[in-house]
Amino acid sequence: MTEISRRGVLAAIAASPVAMAWFTEQVRAADLAASGLVGEVQGPTMITDPAQWPKKFQEAPMLAELVKAGKLPPVEQRIPAEPMVWKPLDQIGTYGGTWRRAFTGPGDVENGNRINSSDKCFFWSADGSKIVPCVAKAYELSDDGKTYTLHLRKGMKWSDGAPFTADDFVFWFEDLYSNKEIVPTPIPDMTPGGKPGRVVKVDETTVRFDFDVPYYLFEDMMAGDTNIGGGQSVRQSQKLSFGAYSPGHYLKQFMPKYSSLDEVNARAKKEGFENWIQMLHFKKDWSLNTDLPTLGPWKTVKTINTPIWLLERNPYYYAVDTEGNQLPYLDHVQMTLGEDLEVINLRAMAGEYDEQERHMDLSKLPVILDNQTKGNYKVHLDLGFAGSDFLLQVNQSYKADPEMRKWLTNADFRRALSLGIDRDQLNETFWLGVGTPGSAAPGESRPESPGPEWRKKWSVLDIKQANELLDKIGLTKKDSAGFRVRTDNGERLRVQIIAVQAFLPYPKLSEMVADQWQKIGIQADVRELERNLAMTRVRNNEHHIYIWNNAGTELLYLFARHAIPVDPTEAYMGPDYATYYASGGKQGTKPDDENILKIWDLFSSAAGLKVDGRNKNAQEIWKINVDQQYGIGTVGQSPAGLGVRLVSNKLGNIAAQVCNAQHCRTPGNSHPETWYFKA
Amino acid sequence: MLNYLARRLVLAVITIWAITVVTFIILQLPPGDFVDAYVAQASAVGTAISAAEADALRHAYGLDQPLIIQYFKWLSHILQGDFGQSFEYGRPVTEVIGDRLWLTVVLSLGAIMVTWGLALPIGIYSAVRQYSIGDYIFTFIGFIGLALPNFLLALIVMYLGLRLFNVSVGGLFSSSFALAPWSWAKLWDLMEHLPVPMLILAMAGTAQLVRIMRANLLDELRRPYVVTARARGLPERRVIMKYPVRAALNPFASTVGYLLPFTVSGSVIISVVLSLPTVGPILLHSLISQDELLSSTIILMLGVLTVLGTLLSDLLLMWIDPRIRMGALK
Repeated sequence: MTEISRRGVLAAIAASPVAMAWFTEQVRAADLAASGLVGEVQGPTMITDPAQWPKKFQEAPMLAELVKAGKLPPVEQRIPAEPMVWKPLDQIGTYGGTWRRAFTGPGDVENGNRINSSDKCFFWSADGSKIVPCVAKAYELSDDGKTYTLHLRKGMKWSDGAPFTADDFVFWFEDLYSNKEIVPTPIPDMTPGGKPGRVVKVDETTVRFDFDVPYYLFEDMMAGDTNIGGGQSVRQSQKLSFGAYSPGHYLKQFMPKYSSLDEVNARAKKEGFENWIQMLHFKKDWSLNTDLPTLGPWKTVKTINTPIWLLERNPYYYAVDTEGNQLPYLDHVQMTLGEDLEVINLRAMAGEYDEQERHMDLSKLPVILDNQTKGNYKVHLDLGFAGSDFLLQVNQSYKADPEMRKWLTNADFRRALSLGIDRDQLNETFWLGVGTPGSAAPGESRPESPGPEWRKKWSVLDIKQANELLDKIGLTKKDSAGFRVRTDNGERLRVQIIAVQAFLPYPKLSEMVADQWQKIGIQADVRELERNLAMTRVRNNEHHIYIWNNAGTELLYLFARHAIPVDPTEAYMGPDYATYYASGGKQGTKPDDENILKIWDLFSSAAGLKVDGRNKNAQEIWKINVDQQYGIGTVGQSPAGLGVRLVSNKLGNIAAQVCNAQHCRTPGNSHPETWYFKA
Repeated sequence: MLNYLARRLVLAVITIWAITVVTFIILQLPPGDFVDAYVAQASAVGTAISAAEADALRHAYGLDQPLIIQYFKWLSHILQGDFGQSFEYGRPVTEVIGDRLWLTVVLSLGAIMVTWGLALPIGIYSAVRQYSIGDYIFTFIGFIGLALPNFLLALIVMYLGLRLFNVSVGGLFSSSFALAPWSWAKLWDLMEHLPVPMLILAMAGTAQLVRIMRANLLDELRRPYVVTARARGLPERRVIMKYPVRAALNPFASTVGYLLPFTVSGSVIISVVLSLPTVGPILLHSLISQDELLSSTIILMLGVLTVLGTLLSDLLLMWIDPRIRMGALK
């Protein structure tokens, strides 16, 4: 309870008339682009032509000292023969300095994962549209789509100096992924059409992924923030065991296969773990184990479970700038624990962080802007691609109450609910007017977008049409207060909305929607629940409408769960249906809705299609989706999630706008290793 | 006397055992377990963890065993002084708490001293000079202190600090000292950061104690023995300090029991709001993430401290109040 009122207080301060008036003047009166807050999407340029690569290399002073003392081999021997070469955004940087930042505790491992995300095999161009090399330098997909070949950089090394080769992929596949005690069920990423794929070493720098069915989608999988392609930091921390490669030379000592079960269990006991699996989960977590070899620009030197999570440059990092300076420029990343988001926001305004986008609160934008000069920082707004930061997902497999089921699964009922929402009011109140109102479909710049006409389809305020639709489907009777009543017992029809506190104040937004629905005679009860309890309700198929966002669905095949019911994790649109789809019909319930079956068909066949075919299928899915309103979109393509970026004026090579999306690992694909402190 | 002490000690041990049972049961009450909370958190950042994987994790961490076995395993480990590993921190529970314990104790002891240092004199003054201007002013401030939620005060102080003085907000160290090894400069930095949270922590407690002290003392001041003492010509100062104040202190002694747990987890909410590196926030956080070994250790520790504190306050009462001393001996 205190949580809510506390946030309320600061929101009230933020919304004080003076600050608000100032804000209106600065932003809302002018258009967003003219405000200077939303710039051009930029990033460093990757130089892929070896003829333009530097021939001589330099290193950071702190590493030069280690070389002098004989503790580190010279820089030429540490950088791969085929390095990743960056032309920084503005200019060649200078070495040194600590990037100060905030994190919220051991659960906030994504904070560092994203900074370190150039340990992915492939990544995305600055605008998030094209796959570009990263850890791997190239890939080929066979014509039949069944073989994916990956080429590593010659001479690349782990952060401890050991060679990084195809063996590290084979180790991951055979010893981590295929060990049922660690990964009990195969991941969908590796099992197209339900048939398990294989990882094969061709030579030291060539790895092959073999599949039994065409799997053209795998190129996106390897570049996306997926289980297979996410990289070591994110996919092997937090007790996960995915990510395509793993430092075998280091981890073998903790596995029974390479000694004996007794030996590793005894070692685990000695180090304070119950068994070897617990020990392994700890040892392969880069945020907890400072000895773990990694590939990213920085490695952990003070662990995440202390008040300061400190990262230090990886002396073997595989990227250089065009003049041959080994990256990163910044020596350290220092993340300081903030127990509370309000404190983190206040500290950011006091200029205590050099770059911070995570945990910044859009609703505080007026005060954040107000303190720009005093805190010596500049604010950038990075707009997302996702259609809706506040999405009402309607449970299609609901069955606890037959009358409610009848309406929740009725397309006209859902359309009426959507037409009854005043998106402009929501946008003005909770997004300060910087969002785009409309349907759940991804932004028009995305290749999977169904087209601009689908932004407004069933997704504008139209009380008259909404009432007509509700009358048409038979919800004509109303009670004395003007609310429509059930057709079975004449009591008021009550739609339940489950909202948890996350990202945006979902419960408050839901209350506003409930208020707006009075005009169409629909009573909505907003239930604010603690997250675990809410998830239990969903697993039991007890919810009517669940609130979340659809960030990530702009790449539909990589993260579909908030667009269509296919993934039993967080299956807000129908847990029974998603289970049916994921289990191949062995569990769950088969939908009686033709449109869902059609969506499934388009979705599952897309993995075997080339990129144009996949995009076409995605557009079709979005058209059905918007027409059917399974997920009622409200306001999106905004900076609400990770999009309010405060950057110290001392930092150089900073992009005006960065790709703000899950697959871009914001701020990862703006390549923080190219940032530096201006003298 | 010894007999009495022995009886109290046996009772304390039984109470502590009961606390372990209750702690364990309470922590099992919320739906799900740590793995559920972990899966929910992982899915929020886009990681899908299958049900089979979740079960494998449950197995590795012993969460799939029957509750009664989990309980006895936990109890036997505790008796051997092994509190286990925190799921979320991946470190021994004792280390996670230990890191923060002494800062917490320093902060809370400071707050208690401020509370008592302010409350007792003000309470005595307000009682002796009842309905004077001073009494009215203190009463007014006291009621505001009582009525104002501490976290709100903390937020306002932080905001004003930032707006008016541009000072670092929250925490106990400046960012430049956070990583530095201990030095005089760092100690001074800590000293500079301590007063604000200390005062905020002390605020509500002070207001409450002032009211209690004032009411108690007013009761005593009307007693015939005070009149007699005055009639006998005792100096006013001695009349008040020697007898009625001592009697009015009784309630303080009996609440000493709650001060011990307070020193360890004084105010969870204020610590969270001010982002203090104390035990409070980890208690709250471990409850949310269902990090059971961590939260149960903290709760158990608070329980044990309460029991010890109560024992202590019983002894203290016997010492300052002859009536109780005599009663216990009978």
